[in-house]
Amino acid sequence: MLAVLTLFTVNMDYLPLFHNLRNRPCLLIGGGQIALRKARLLIAAGAQVRVLAPEVLPELAALIQGANGHIVLAEYAPQHLDQMALVVCATDNHHINQQVSQDCFARFLPVNVVDSPELCSVITPAIVDRSPVMIAFSSGGEAPVMARMLRAKIESVIPASFGQLAQLASKFREKVKAAFDDGDKRRRFWEAVLGGTIAEKVLSGNIASAEADLEQLLQNPSVETRGEVYLVGAGPGDPDLLTFKALRLMQQAEVVLYDRLVSPPIMNLVRRDAERIYVGKRRHDHAVEQTQINQMLLELAQQGKRVLRLKGGDPFIFGRGGEEIELLAEHGIPFQIVPGITAASGCAAYAGIPLTHRDYAQSVRFITGHLKDGSFNLPWTELISNQQTLVFYMGLVGLPTICAELIRHGKPQNTPCALIEKGTLPEQKVHLGDLTSLPELVKNTEIHAPTLLIIGPVASLHKKLAWFGGSAPN
Amino acid sequence: MVYPPKSSRAKNGSVAAGKVWLVGAGPGNADLLTIRALRAIENADLILFDQLVSDEIRALFPKQVPHFYVGKVKGQHSIEQQDLNALLVKKARAGLNVCRVKGGDPFVFGRGGEELLALLAAGVDAEVVPGITAASGCTTNAGIPLTHRGLAQGCTLVTAQGEKEAALNWQALASLNHTLVFYMGVSRAQWIAESLINAGLDTNTPAAVIENGCRHNQRVLVSDIANLPALIQLEAVTSPALIVVGQVVSLAATLHVPAAGFVETCQRLSA
Repeated sequence: MLAVLTLFTVNMDYLPLFHNLRNRPCLLIGGGQIALRKARLLIAAGAQVRVLAPEVLPELAALIQGANGHIVLAEYAPQHLDQMALVVCATDNHHINQQVSQDCFARFLPVNVVDSPELCSVITPAIVDRSPVMIAFSSGGEAPVMARMLRAKIESVIPASFGQLAQLASKFREKVKAAFDDGDKRRRFWEAVLGGTIAEKVLSGNIASAEADLEQLLQNPSVETRGEVYLVGAGPGDPDLLTFKALRLMQQAEVVLYDRLVSPPIMNLVRRDAERIYVGKRRHDHAVEQTQINQMLLELAQQGKRVLRLKGGDPFIFGRGGEEIELLAEHGIPFQIVPGITAASGCAAYAGIPLTHRDYAQSVRFITGHLKDGSFNLPWTELISNQQTLVFYMGLVGLPTICAELIRHGKPQNTPCALIEKGTLPEQKVHLGDLTSLPELVKNTEIHAPTLLIIGPVASLHKKLAWFGGSAPN
Repeated sequence: MVYPPKSSRAKNGSVAAGKVWLVGAGPGNADLLTIRALRAIENADLILFDQLVSDEIRALFPKQVPHFYVGKVKGQHSIEQQDLNALLVKKARAGLNVCRVKGGDPFVFGRGGEELLALLAAGVDAEVVPGITAASGCTTNAGIPLTHRGLAQGCTLVTAQGEKEAALNWQALASLNHTLVFYMGVSRAQWIAESLINAGLDTNTPAAVIENGCRHNQRVLVSDIANLPALIQLEAVTSPALIVVGQVVSLAATLHVPAAGFVETCQRLSA
């Protein structure tokens, strides 16, 4: 600990500070694209921007005029630095950059020269803005890409509505202070509030209800916390296609119920110390009956746990989410449902197959390709019309029947079809054919679940629009 | 004095071509943006967005990155699809990483296919980032599952706009055990309801309209297919709005997520 501290104090290249620039004059040297970017940033901070350059992009000029700034069409001279609070230099002329830097250092005036850390006395960090909460970080100008990557990571764990949580905390600050004279107790109270169901209510936009809960908790701090269920769509497989809300709830849950369609890379993002319960189904081996899952969710929530039910795709599109929620609603258990990218969307995007297209399909139909007792109970005659795309979920086993029935009811044999195997994952394969050739192809190929079947003229666009991974060689 | 953009600065002197991301921003709530979508937004030198991209999502655009509205305004001339395709190609060739942000999903009534076709044909590198389409996000927020045991075996997403509307097969749409979701249908609710009823759909079939779905001002109005058009008119529902038709709509009251505006609406309807 001591060693770390020492290292830190010796090696701190910059002191992080937040600069209040509201109504303060700032000189921006340069009139091009980079200057335009910096101008936006300075204006967002409320600065009075003075742009200095022999010529200025029309867009920059308009921006500055709109923000009550000034434009000075001239070459740089040291007197331009007079009465400035900050100088930002954004020219591509190294000589000018150096001169400006030197003059500013001589006047002890903070200066930032874009992309030249060696000429700067202040550098701009990467920012995550959750006003009033503001997070800034920097790699000392050495590795801006790394700072940006870090920023994306932080963005992912701090929801966009985090600022509202800060506002709630500030609103109740005095009340909480009055309720707890002991600092430790107060801290524990806030930790429980900001990491619990009240915070979750704020983050999902339910502020009035969160405030009511907080009031109640202040009246009776010993009240036992109720459990909650999060029914979350994990998307088609690529962990990058998780929503921020899904990711946040995955980090918060104490128990996770998941099934076979949730990919291992996604399970890796679940809170490490959460209890994991596999309730998935394989075709022939019903791991846990649906009614049992419903009952488990109810019981765990009644024990006061925060329960995450994680599902592949979207919970309300062939995910049986409605059934799981019905029982909870009956018992008054609070729940949240988080939509996910459904397999049709994810696989179509990654296979380069638009589900609708002005010239080919004005509607898209999602159908389960799951056989019941070896046969389908589908209105085939209604599935053959043109100008629509058919998407079959879980259609691998039923594929020969689906194609045969469509042909029998009058769909042209040469209707393009695509079977997408392990869509959105690095091992994605797209098998392309038509209603007669695809069943043949599938019979002779080893194919792994999960799969998605797309039938309709749009499927042929894959040849032109494939941008991700490999297509199957056919 | 124009500085080269960051994406092309890597190679000395020469301008490397940029890339275009066609990004689905989902139904409106910033929380429902995917990690991949935000990454694309953050790596952009230029952002072009349309009207279905909510203020909440726009607030995430980095302040220093220029962003322009290229969406359509009803009744007004806006940028044509062909011109937009050409603009994307031009900017990418000039070395910019361009993020084209669309509401919902680019491949579900987003015309993403047309843009991707133009980009790849011009040799421009491009990627598609799927988003949660309105039919999924908005119905979830309203507590309406698109499929549900015993009520709906599947669902069909339909656009009520477009020059090829005559091609809609109403008989096929009116078939039972199925949820229908109409995009951009609010101004054509009367036509949708009549066509479905004429094709044999029961007039008592539950139907809902979701206005400003997944936003703080979301409204959900529940009725049946025969009465929905009148309700839409009475409540002055405006775009963006989705129409949902099918037995699953009856679950809205029991499964609803207590989102802002919903409870109030239900009370008003039952009063």
